[in-house]
Amino acid sequence: MSDSATPRRARLELLVRRDDDHEGFELRQIGSGVAFIQSRPQRVSEGSFELAEVASRVDGQRSFILKNTATDRFLLLSAPERFLWEQMDGRTSLQQIATAYVLRYGEFDFDIIPHLIRKLQRAQLLTMTPTSRLRQALARHRRRPVAKMAEAALFALERINISSRNVQGVFGTLYRWGGFLLFTRSAVIVCLLLAALGFAAGVRLWPDADRVVSGFGKSPLMAILSVKVLFLLTVGAHQLVHGLALVHYGRRVREFGFTFLHGFVPTFYVDVTDIFMGSRKARVVTAVSGALVHLVLGSVWVLFALYMPLGSFWQAFAAASGMIQWQAFVVALYPFCFIEMDGYHVLVDMLGIPTLKHDAIAWAGSLLRGRIPRRFTRQEALFASYVLVSTISVAAFIAFNVWLIVHAS
Amino acid sequence: MGSSSDTLAFLRSVRLFRTIEGPELGFLGDSLRERPLRRGQVLLREGDSGDEMFLVRSGSLVISKGVTGRVEQVLARVGPGDFFGEMALFDRSPRSATIQADSDTMLLVLDRAALDKLKDGSPRAAAAFFESLVLIFIERLRASGDLVAEVTRWGLEATGLDVENR
Repeated sequence: MSDSATPRRARLELLVRRDDDHEGFELRQIGSGVAFIQSRPQRVSEGSFELAEVASRVDGQRSFILKNTATDRFLLLSAPERFLWEQMDGRTSLQQIATAYVLRYGEFDFDIIPHLIRKLQRAQLLTMTPTSRLRQALARHRRRPVAKMAEAALFALERINISSRNVQGVFGTLYRWGGFLLFTRSAVIVCLLLAALGFAAGVRLWPDADRVVSGFGKSPLMAILSVKVLFLLTVGAHQLVHGLALVHYGRRVREFGFTFLHGFVPTFYVDVTDIFMGSRKARVVTAVSGALVHLVLGSVWVLFALYMPLGSFWQAFAAASGMIQWQAFVVALYPFCFIEMDGYHVLVDMLGIPTLKHDAIAWAGSLLRGRIPRRFTRQEALFASYVLVSTISVAAFIAFNVWLIVHAS
Repeated sequence: MGSSSDTLAFLRSVRLFRTIEGPELGFLGDSLRERPLRRGQVLLREGDSGDEMFLVRSGSLVISKGVTGRVEQVLARVGPGDFFGEMALFDRSPRSATIQADSDTMLLVLDRAALDKLKDGSPRAAAAFFESLVLIFIERLRASGDLVAEVTRWGLEATGLDVENR
């Protein structure tokens, strides 16, 4: 019974000859488990990795970002994992590492060691292809022709990826040709000024909102869709600014491209993972600068709408574009929406909990399954707040957009 | 050294010869010669030349293949009734493994000349012998596959390599 439940560990039988005697030998059976704990893992050589610390402001715990500079892969390590990583010098056996771990942390939960080893072996934290719930549902219903077709279509779209990994030079050139201006005080002032003017224009237009949107005429939905298509192009600008921020802080832009996220959301993207090795200020500026593109464009569109003839198509188009840009600005920077956008990255950076969404959702799931603690820890209170605020925010966002479309119709 | 009737009784109990009739088996028994080995004695080493196969009358031996330095992997342990060395008997290639007595051992040796005599003198007995040999080869081939799988599993477990989620 137990044999079938727990697979037998593999064993090798070895014959070891004695040095002094041609005929003398010893037979040794080596179980794979013994071999594992006697193995001596060795980390990549100094200079082939970078380690950056992320301090949590919630529970005071420290995390570390480990980057393999050869493969440009990143791993998040806890403090105990970092301790274990330091031990992996090729001379210390896993058994000795486990002993050191017990002496240091007083814990006997050795699962952390094989778990870390798997993480280090894989080192694909940032290259995993996300699998959405929609895709999982389609896979479950693959027997149905419609689901099969949808899945095939998503698969085909997902394979569309126009990208380049050789973009550092292009971004460097763009930065030298004027991109650096975006990271000056003057740019910040211009941005704030435009935001203020745009907001003022929006306030002036608001009383006439009905007449402004009437400029779309009889096909408001088609007009809004065309606004969305135009908006897609500005997502490219958003990503471009992220890349310029990387250059500004001396980091490398690893990739820039266009793809269909989850198989159906067309989007531009830039790989900014190298900024993890930068300072917190660099990470925050990189995250916020991209979103500011939408604030500036939104303000310009609304100002444009203010000076267009009331009730004209172009006024409606400009107002809708401005609205959608401002929404994008808010969505990008607002961290409580279950989407890992720029604001979310700033939040988790500040809190020092890079896996906040994942952990909070897992925690909420355990609550729903009846595992309710008598008293919340500080971290659990944070998880509860994140899930609650995000749920309310998403509901409000959907309600607002429904109201907008109904009102426009 | 045992008597010829003892040898004949032993050969009858060996799977390789079980389908060979009495007279032919007696003929084969007469062609075999005994080879004693003391504990630890190396019968042959990997890479040696030879054209004999061996039948274990008593005792036990370890068949191993060099891995690194003084370490060899044990491929099989053989005891009374088992045979080995047959590959060189047929293709005359160098020995593929080292064979060493694990205890005091008595072997029966069948060389190429004796096999040729069996083929010429009793083709039916030779055919029965070869058929048994093929069946045992098939079993060994399957066992080799299992060993490869076991060694692979050992490697994965020993290194903690997570292949499924790579």
